[in-house]
Order: sequence, then C-alpha cells, then structure tokens
Amino acid sequence: MNLKKYTSLLRAGIMESLNYRLSALVLFFGNLVYIAIIYYLWRAIYASSPTDVVGGMTFTDTLIYVVLASSLFSFMEMYFVWDIGRSVQSGKIALDLIKPMAYRDYVFWSCAGTLFTNFFSVFLPTFIVIEIVTKGAIDFGMNLVWFIPSVIMGVVINYNIDFFVGSICLYTESIWGINMMKQVIVLLFSGATIPLAFFPDKLQSIAYHLPFQSIYNTPLSILLMHSPSVSQVLPMILLQLFWCVALTLFTSLFWFISIRQVTVNGG
Amino acid sequence: MEEAVIQIKNITKEFKVLNHREGVKGGLMDLFSRDYRIVRAVDDISMNVEQGEIVGYLGPNGAGKSTTIKMMAGVLEPTSGEILVNGVIPYKNRAGNSQHIGVVFGQRSQLWWALPLIESFKLLRDIYQIPKAEYEEMLSFYASIADMENLLHKPVRQMSLGQRTLSDILAAFLHNPKIVFLDEPTIGLDVSMKAKIRELILSLNEKKHTTVILTTHDMGDVDALCRRIVIIDHGKMLYDNDMDHLKGFFGSYRTLKIRVSGDVNGHLAEIQRQFPDMRTETEEGWITILVDEEKTGVMKVLNTIQESVKVRDVQIEEISTEDVIRKIYEGDMG
Ligand SMILES: Nc1ncnc2c1ncn2[C@@H]1O[C@H](COP(=O)(O)OP(=O)(O)O)[C@@H](O)[C@H]1O
Ligand SMILES: [Mg+2]
Repeated sequence: MNLKKYTSLLRAGIMESLNYRLSALVLFFGNLVYIAIIYYLWRAIYASSPTDVVGGMTFTDTLIYVVLASSLFSFMEMYFVWDIGRSVQSGKIALDLIKPMAYRDYVFWSCAGTLFTNFFSVFLPTFIVIEIVTKGAIDFGMNLVWFIPSVIMGVVINYNIDFFVGSICLYTESIWGINMMKQVIVLLFSGATIPLAFFPDKLQSIAYHLPFQSIYNTPLSILLMHSPSVSQVLPMILLQLFWCVALTLFTSLFWFISIRQVTVNGG
Repeated sequence: MEEAVIQIKNITKEFKVLNHREGVKGGLMDLFSRDYRIVRAVDDISMNVEQGEIVGYLGPNGAGKSTTIKMMAGVLEPTSGEILVNGVIPYKNRAGNSQHIGVVFGQRSQLWWALPLIESFKLLRDIYQIPKAEYEEMLSFYASIADMENLLHKPVRQMSLGQRTLSDILAAFLHNPKIVFLDEPTIGLDVSMKAKIRELILSLNEKKHTTVILTTHDMGDVDALCRRIVIIDHGKMLYDNDMDHLKGFFGSYRTLKIRVSGDVNGHLAEIQRQFPDMRTETEEGWITILVDEEKTGVMKVLNTIQESVKVRDVQIEEISTEDVIRKIYEGDMG
C-alpha cells in the first residue's frame, strides 16, 4: 500500500486551509459568540430549575460539555455534503472520478487537511481555555489517551454519514433540503448541541441506538471522565468501532450502487 | 501495425431525463414522477484512433462530443456498443484507465485553488506515482516550452484564465498519459493565448507521442493541430477523414460580412438576387455571405454589392467550423 498519496493530499489540504486565515478567524470568533450565547442560555435554564443538578449534571458540567461539543463540532464538521453536491451539479465530479484513487478516499483526504488545521485553531485553544478557567476540570490521564482513537472514529463515522448523504445527491438536484435535514438530525442526536443526559428517557434510548452519538457524545464523554478504567471505556470504543465498520461497508455499497446513476443515467 | 489505442464500435449513449413540470407544485410532483424521456446523445459511433494522432472532434453545441469523451474516460457507461481504451473497457476499470489518460474539461479546473501550481503538480506526482526522474524530466521539458518560472509559484486563483488553462493542460500531461482528452480547452481565451496553447499541445504531442482528442469550436485550433477530424451532430457521425481532404472541399470558402444601414432585409433580397447560389444570413445589421472563391472572388462580390448597396463596414473571415459543419450537414460534400 502506498501511503504517499494520502499524506500528500493531507499536506495540500493543510496548506490550502492555512491560506484561508480569514475563515479560520471567523470560525474562531463565531465559536466564541456561540459559547457566549449558550452560557447565558444554560444559566437561564439552571436559574429556572428548582435544583442545582439537572439531568445529573451541574451547571459547570453542562457548560464544559456544551462548549467542548461546539468546538468539537467546529473542528469535525467538514461540509462534505456541499462539496459532493456542488461537484455533482457542476460536473467537476467527472474529474474526481478519473483519479487513480477511490472517490471516497480522494474526497476524504482532500478535506482532511482542514480537520488538521481546525483541530489546532479551534479545538485545542478551547480546550486550554476551559482547563484554565475551570482550574483543571479535565484530567490529564487515560481519558486523553482514549480520547484520541475515539475522536478519530468520530471523524470516520461523521464522514460516512456525510458521504451517504452526498451519495443521495447523485439522485436529486436539491442538496440543500437533504443537507438541512441531516444537519438537524446529527446536531440533535449526536449530543453536539444538547447533552444526551437532558433527553427524556425514550429519546435518550433512541439516541444511544443510533450511530450519531458516537460522533460527538462518545469522545466528549470519554474526555470528561476521571481516570476511566478499561472496562468503562472499552464498550464505548467497541460500539464506535462497530459503527465505523458497519457504516463504511454500507456507504461503500450504497455509493457503488448510486454511482451507476451517474455512469448510466448521467446524473 | 500496432493496435489502435482507442477502439470504438457502434457506441450509443442514451440519457433518461425527467420531464420537469412548472412551478412549486410541479417541482413537488417531480419528486415522484416517472415521466421520463430518452435523449440519445451519442448514436452509433465507430472509430479507431492510433497512438500519436491528434484528432479534432467537432460538432455544434449538444452534438454529443463531451458525452463521447466521458465514455472514453470511463465516467459514463455506453448504453450499447463496445469501447476499448488502451485495451481495457474504461468504465469497468476506471482507476486503471485513469493512469493512462489525462483530461481537461474547459473551464473546470483540477488544480488547488489557493496553492501555487507547483503544489498541485507535486500532488499529482504522488497520486499518479510518477517516478522522480520522469517527473523532473517532464518539468524541465515544460520549462523549455512555457514560462514556468512565472507559473509554478503563482497561486492558481491569481492566474488569468489563459494561464490557468495552460496549467490545467500541463497538469493533464504530467503523468505522461497515452491519451489526453481536451474538451474545449481554448474557450474564452484571447488570440495570443490560444496560439501559445496550440504550440504547447503540439510540442507535447511530438515529444511524448501522446494521442490527443480535441473538441473545439475554433477553426484556428483545428488548422493548427489536427490532421484528422471527426464531425458529429445530433449524436451521429457525419464525417471522419483527413483535414486535407476537408480543406479540398472548403479551403476556397470565405465568409464576407458587410454592415449596411437602412433596410437590411431589402438589401439582403438584392444580394440574393445578384448571387442566388450563395448562402446568406443577417444578424444585427450585418449580412453574412458565404463565398466560394473558386467560383467568384470575394472582392468581386463586394464590388458588385457596393454598386447597389451602401456598405458601412466590411469583414472577411475564413470559413468557420460551424459553417463547415453546417455544409457537411447539409450534404455539400459532393
Ligand atoms: N447528464 C446528462 N443528462 C441528460 N442529458 C444529457 C446529459 N449530458 C448531456 N446530455 C444531453 O446530451 C446531448 C449531448 O450533450 P454533450 O455531449 O454535452 O454535447 P457537446 O459536448 O457536443 O456540446 C445534449 O442534448 C445534452 O443535453
Ligand atoms: Mg461539450
């Protein structure tokens, strides 16, 4: 196997995203504004509650969770669906299809550089700020070690879902509606906006049976654990692994069927 | 003789197109509609192309040129017929086929927008696994035919359309493919850039013996590059022969355009009366007359017209591709 193509795409992606310093800045400040809004929102929610603990979480717990969730979202959300949809509509997909690489790998690694840059420009600063402000609410232990494979699998699962939705774009011309629907579902069920602990029992149980919570909720929960034991983390990691494998198989198959829509019907 | 690099036998391509309805309600109904119509974009085309040939693939808009190219590149699957490129069936072996082909779709770029051109080249080197020596050799060859110093370190988004097109063509040739497809590469370029690009294509073809399939609406491109031309319209092959052969028929044609004031249609009728054999057209005060110089000289036609019509402006042009195609389509091939 030749890894050079992947590292080379990664490298180009990093350089390209560094070129858009302004958009990194916008992302950074946009995230700050968002954090300010949710701070007041959750303070209001807690102020109106008769108890200090809601859904098993204190105000500080919740705030740390939602702030990290939003920065994790800014770091991991790649807007692949738009990319795929646009390249289907403009016909640029023809150029990408005739690369000597599988299309899904080509698209992923072309965008992976942005992930890399976002990690350092959005997630890491937020993490450090939280650590300082809360005077060490996040452990520097095994939780960080487990967080790494967990967040990587989160990225893979997220990509698979985007790639699946992108494949649907091959059948329809309206990416916008489909993408909005996907965004809403993912934002809600992944724990990216509201901690799953706040969901009613029924909804919570549904969320835990769907792949979305493996994207943001699992890595975040692991990150916020205090010296977690293997038996605590392993089931979560294995569930993520299951979703990675299952979704990769499923979306590859779906792509294989869908791409015939382009090659046979011309999109 | 060596096997032809492109072998096409009776290929046809049909698209299933949804009949769209009007309005919001129609749009909603379209979602569930099964009301399709079949568009036959390519209709029973056959041809063989040898290694090293430059073939002009011509036809009016919507003739089916791009569709044929996409089938050769493996992006589209023919509805029927056989197609072999480098001995493999392109759509069945897309990744394998891609190593041996390069493609430029005019006005769509495969280059990385924010990065200097050299970065896109390095990326292509790694993706196509071009050996280092070959890559270096190609770059120094590029340096000998184009102003690479100016291009390589310039971010693609800062390039002019011409520079970008040039870069895209160089990128398509970089992995030394056996065949390069150029789909309207010179569209929108000025005269000097067109000349530069023609020169470039010609030297690449000579040096690497690359087969080039070129679609264009510019007769200048065809004159400069193509020994052989294939013409299609409505998906059907109309003509496949040497350029010289075609010129034998149309080389003596010129287009005479005159601008007149006053009653254009009246003047047109007068000209048609004087030269009943010549094809004429009008557009925004201009009258276009297709003159066969073997029968009557352009100047003679002009002088005759000037006796009865006040001419304000004159242009004389070589016969355009469109005119040639139209004449072929009208069955003027004798
Ligand atoms: N993806 C597609 N779906 C439906 N019809 C198409 C598609 N691509 C091309 N066509 C139709 O096929 C015909 C040939 O198109 P094309 O090959 O692009 O022509 P050219 O490149 O010669 O201008 C046109 O009528 C066009 O509308
Ligand atoms: Mg075309």
